[in-house]
Amino acid sequence: MKRAIRLLIVFSMLAALGVGISAQGDYADGTEISLLQWSHFVPRYDEWFDAYAAEWGEANGVGVTVDHVNFTELFSTLAAEIDAGEGHTIVEVLFSPASFIDGLHDLRDINEQAMENWGERAATCQAASYLPVVDTYYAYTHGYVPDPGDYDIALWTDAGYPEGPKTYDDLLEGGRAIFESTGIPVGLGMSPELDSRMANRAAIWSFGGSVQDENENVVLNSEETIAAVKYLAQLQNEAMTDEVFGWTAASNNQGLIAGELSYILNSNSAYRSLQKIDEAAAANIGFTAALEGPAGAWASSHVWQIYVIPNYVEGDELAAAKQFILDHSANYSDATYYSELYNFPCHPSTVPELDGWLEEDPWGSMPPNKFEVLKTVNDWSVHLGFPGVTNPAISQVFAESVIPNMTAKVALGELSAEEAVAQAHERVEEIFSEWRAKGMVGGG
Amino acid sequence: MIARAHPFDSRRVVGALFLAPALLYIVLIVGLPFLLAIAFGFSDVTVGNTDLNFVGLQNYLAVWENDIFRQVFETTVRFTLISQIFILIFANILAIIFTQNFTGKWFARFIFILPWATPVSLAMIGWLWMLDTKYSPIDYLLLQTGFLGPNGILSSNRNLFWLATPDLSQISVIFVQVWRMTPLATVILMAGLSSIPTDILDQAEVDGSRFMRTLLQIKLPLILPIMVIALLFSMITMFGDMTVVYVLTRGGPVDYTRVLGLYSFQVGIEGGNLAQGAAISLFAFPLLLAMAILMLRTASRAEVR
Repeated sequence: MKRAIRLLIVFSMLAALGVGISAQGDYADGTEISLLQWSHFVPRYDEWFDAYAAEWGEANGVGVTVDHVNFTELFSTLAAEIDAGEGHTIVEVLFSPASFIDGLHDLRDINEQAMENWGERAATCQAASYLPVVDTYYAYTHGYVPDPGDYDIALWTDAGYPEGPKTYDDLLEGGRAIFESTGIPVGLGMSPELDSRMANRAAIWSFGGSVQDENENVVLNSEETIAAVKYLAQLQNEAMTDEVFGWTAASNNQGLIAGELSYILNSNSAYRSLQKIDEAAAANIGFTAALEGPAGAWASSHVWQIYVIPNYVEGDELAAAKQFILDHSANYSDATYYSELYNFPCHPSTVPELDGWLEEDPWGSMPPNKFEVLKTVNDWSVHLGFPGVTNPAISQVFAESVIPNMTAKVALGELSAEEAVAQAHERVEEIFSEWRAKGMVGGG
Repeated sequence: MIARAHPFDSRRVVGALFLAPALLYIVLIVGLPFLLAIAFGFSDVTVGNTDLNFVGLQNYLAVWENDIFRQVFETTVRFTLISQIFILIFANILAIIFTQNFTGKWFARFIFILPWATPVSLAMIGWLWMLDTKYSPIDYLLLQTGFLGPNGILSSNRNLFWLATPDLSQISVIFVQVWRMTPLATVILMAGLSSIPTDILDQAEVDGSRFMRTLLQIKLPLILPIMVIALLFSMITMFGDMTVVYVLTRGGPVDYTRVLGLYSFQVGIEGGNLAQGAAISLFAFPLLLAMAILMLRTASRAEVR
């Protein structure tokens, strides 16, 4: 009943906003859409989503099926379905699928409709949906996940930082002091895995470096990047153990939950897991915004929730799919709520309750305003291609783990920062040249 | 009246019919994807566009100029060769043991075959836990026995970081590959040992041949052809494998355990550059083909002799 009322309210709001929900029967009889998306980190979200999708289908006279898979299978499945010319109607991926652009529908219409309905979107979402060199919206990004710092309050209070580290200098000084006195290290990964790729980029951006500039020219080999890599190597040598070279994406979560890491960069996933098994220990976890470096404070979003529609989808199936995507965005309060504040909306106006939830966590955090630091998230949360867009070359650099491997070589003492950055720059240039030749990267 | 010969009376017809399912399987499951990979390697396909536009050797040249690829290729060859040495030694020892008569032989054989019978991804998740950088049970045992810890013989740390240091990560991957592939080689060698005519072994015994002499001068030469086949299976499987490192290390630390299969997947599927991913994987083909021809010739010669 509660869900039905909520749905009714949502559809009323959509009608008021002029989204233009199709009445039942607008689609040909037998119209069906299917969705492929990840098994969400928060199982509650999938329960809500599956029920929501079924109800949306009933309300619109469309058959809806939802398949959930491990997120690592999304790209390979999408590639196979595009190649086969058949498969799911909508596929949700977690990282920019810009390299799939030729096999995807241009979703300019619904992206523009969304901006008309709900205003400008978070920059991190825009850059993960639009490829300027071909002027195409290859995707519709409905949400993203912040990647704040998670710190052990007791340890950092003892070290003289009761509100956790605010700057990269704090992280080095405080992290080193904690490591020396307790043996508990900082946990920023330097391994070929997702969280390491994010953490290393955050430091490079905050020191003023980047893989590319805003015009998609490779600028990795810079004094700023070298300074960031030297910093990360020093941090590893003085405040971390060698474990960070062999981490999986779950390792920093496990370490924080076990009380064996003083600071990590992650979504709220590690904290939420701890909250469910030990509330007192969870109360000892605090969050920080992106750390301030010499050139600013930037952190990558943790993942993005990106919908794409492959080219093989046509007719009423395509129309229904676009409608589903817009309606889902209009209902983002529920998406954010049932994901336990994991999903943040690309269009902040779709979740007017968000600031209130960050001040008083509806899922029982202690203190209730634990997530208040995330109110500024759109000021510092960026995307993989920052300060340019996330293009196919950026995605390949990400997939090959060029950045964490560059840092690890220095931390392991194999190369100097200058050598490692120059070597990585050369590989990044090769990747950019190949994609530029295909006409999918600007600059040059 | 002379009865007409039924087509099934012809050895050629029956032979072809028996061979057909296997041939069909090879063509559909191996041949077509292989041809597709070759076509991809000479084109500019991406994950979003598989229209074949011929670009000649462009992908192969780009891959060859890539320093990471050359390191990955060298790592793959090194891992494969080192693993095969250990697999060959262990498989021979175990095959000899398992062809002897002793109590509990069948149970021992059953336990031993498990690593090969277990789905590789499942087994690797088990090893990922065993070799975890922080919560490894092996480290826990070493810590409890004084090998690790403040006064530890091996390290003053609480962990050895099996999958995080350059040396140990490579040793771990090779060890797991040996663990996984040895049962198959052993089973093949056991079949070879069992097929040695008993009269030859009886004759050797009557002539006073001791264990080592029988082994080195009779058994091993007789099973040499089948040993080469076992080695070939094992090498080809390992050379193309990506599951072990995908689950355990994802190629890290740095690039120390990155192998061809994994790099091809990272570039081709995760990175979207399908053409170059195909080119990377095809670099293994000439080497494997040459090895296969060489080994099969060796086996053939040994058999004739």
